[in-house]
Amino acid sequence: MSHKILNEKTLSMLKQKINRGLLPQWVLSDPEMYELELEKIFGRTWQFLAHESELLEPGSFVTRWIVNDPVLVTKTKSGEIKAFLNSCTHRGTHLCAADYGKQKTFTCPYHGWTFNLEGKLIGVALGDKVYGEEMKKDEWDLRPIPKIGIYQGMIFGNLDPNAMPLEDFLGNMKWYFDILLGRSDGGMEVKGVPQRWVVQVNWKVTAENFEADPYHVQMTHRSSKELGIAPKDPFFPGYGHQIVLENGHGINVITADATGQSPFPFQGMPESMWPMFERNLSPEQLEIMKNAIVFVGGVFPNLGLISFSAPPLEGETTLYNYLNFRIWRPLGPDKVEVWSWFMIDKAAPEEYREKSYLSYLGTFGPSGILEQDDAEVWARIAQASNGLMALDKELSYNNVLNYLMGLDRVQPDETFPGPGVAYPICFLDAISRGMHEYWLELLSSDLPIKKEV
Amino acid sequence: MNLELQFQITHFLHYEAYLLDHRKYKEWLDLLTDDIIYRMPARITTEGKHNGPNIVNDTTYFEETKKSLITRVKRLDTSSAWAEYSGPRQRHFISNILIESGSHSDEYQVRSYFLYLRSRGSDLVTEQLQGERVDVLRKDNGEWKIASRTIYVDQSVLGLMNLSMFL
Repeated sequence: MSHKILNEKTLSMLKQKINRGLLPQWVLSDPEMYELELEKIFGRTWQFLAHESELLEPGSFVTRWIVNDPVLVTKTKSGEIKAFLNSCTHRGTHLCAADYGKQKTFTCPYHGWTFNLEGKLIGVALGDKVYGEEMKKDEWDLRPIPKIGIYQGMIFGNLDPNAMPLEDFLGNMKWYFDILLGRSDGGMEVKGVPQRWVVQVNWKVTAENFEADPYHVQMTHRSSKELGIAPKDPFFPGYGHQIVLENGHGINVITADATGQSPFPFQGMPESMWPMFERNLSPEQLEIMKNAIVFVGGVFPNLGLISFSAPPLEGETTLYNYLNFRIWRPLGPDKVEVWSWFMIDKAAPEEYREKSYLSYLGTFGPSGILEQDDAEVWARIAQASNGLMALDKELSYNNVLNYLMGLDRVQPDETFPGPGVAYPICFLDAISRGMHEYWLELLSSDLPIKKEV
Repeated sequence: MNLELQFQITHFLHYEAYLLDHRKYKEWLDLLTDDIIYRMPARITTEGKHNGPNIVNDTTYFEETKKSLITRVKRLDTSSAWAEYSGPRQRHFISNILIESGSHSDEYQVRSYFLYLRSRGSDLVTEQLQGERVDVLRKDNGEWKIASRTIYVDQSVLGLMNLSMFL
């Protein structure tokens, strides 16, 4: 498709800059770059679709998007998870318009073709009379999403039939998923439906800001320090480890201070649950979970996750923990639809779960006092990245962005008990640099010029 | 319908909109009872006939008490509430006010439509949100107060960057 923007010269310039901790600003707003990303990145990486708790019974379904591909995710009669292009095979109509529901069949409103939960075409209006008995119905089943994978209840789809298996793609992120999603008996549960809203910025900015940049907290979220909700320590949340994982993934395991000991073990989860964590986690995972006060990271390219503890805004001082996943669905070079899922342990006491939701609403999502301010900053990046100076591919205006924090300066901490390359500080651009490297690797894959660079 | 009551409540809701739009948030908080329940559940799309339910109460955007609303107002008064820094201009257009008797003799259930518009910086695009509010209004020491508000927004995907306002 549109390989013309990644000619040998731009590719080598990008590579050179990224290796030195710099990112040319034009990649945040260039429309051709965006088109290339859709094809090379979103068309080939594992995309989060749903959590199993959203599909409880046979017949349950949700509708989702992999960027511009509508996806119908179903639970079949036998309890299997399936995913299809949510488009009638007859003339392409968006088959199911509901966000979620429970039903045995899906009938297209155009001519009445009907499909079951397995994607089988089971009904053609006036079939034999108009198509004859020779019609091979099984050639017109719903088109499956080429690959489906599930890890710890997280359902992913991949549009690339040749993609590596999900577990290989997640790599060591699985170990951290085991802590966040596997700590409790019965796992985690999504409450309700994802919140959805639209922000004006490139998807790379939201992904990076959320997953890889604890440094922004001290300024962007200063109001929570002023209010006395967040620690006043100017170095917070720089303590802990930033862990670079394979394939552009990464996670920050943030601690309260330099001691690495948490003032509220297990992120303030009820003490009654601690023995269960001990049972479900390895000693190393348990140690990390006990001492971390925030986990924040992401799966490349556009799935963010945070395990956060906050008091509800009502003035109660108790902290309540929650798990939040979000996807940044690109809608254009500078437009993202955010989908944000609230999750909590099934095994947590009911009252705790309710308070935990309030603590989420007070902090993240479009009404959260932290995330409100993120959106403002994101929009300002988009506003300032569309001019001739920012877009100049020759980089004649020093139009490169700074990802130099910790470059060649911070060494990995070999004593960290978890997998990945763990740096002993979270004010660091190592995950961002890892994202940029993998981003460029995917963009330049199967380009004829690859080997020369 | 009691014309005097219709007038009083219409005036009250217009006055409330004036306080919000003019950022007189402390005075706005005074219009809320101490036990106010302030919620905004999510709208969804379902399949089925035109009049099927399409609100999910398990997912909300606001689930507030008087105290949490006070915290949100306090935040706006810090030096770093960037979402509202430089005060984006906002208008609450309130209309279609319908008054019904409430569950207590001193309470009324009041439905109103809202159109919320926000203009930020020099952006040419105006952010918009519209829907319906169901309030319970109560007379407290001779003054009208909002004892509960449920905001039913029309959009299932919010077309604005954040909910840093009150609706």
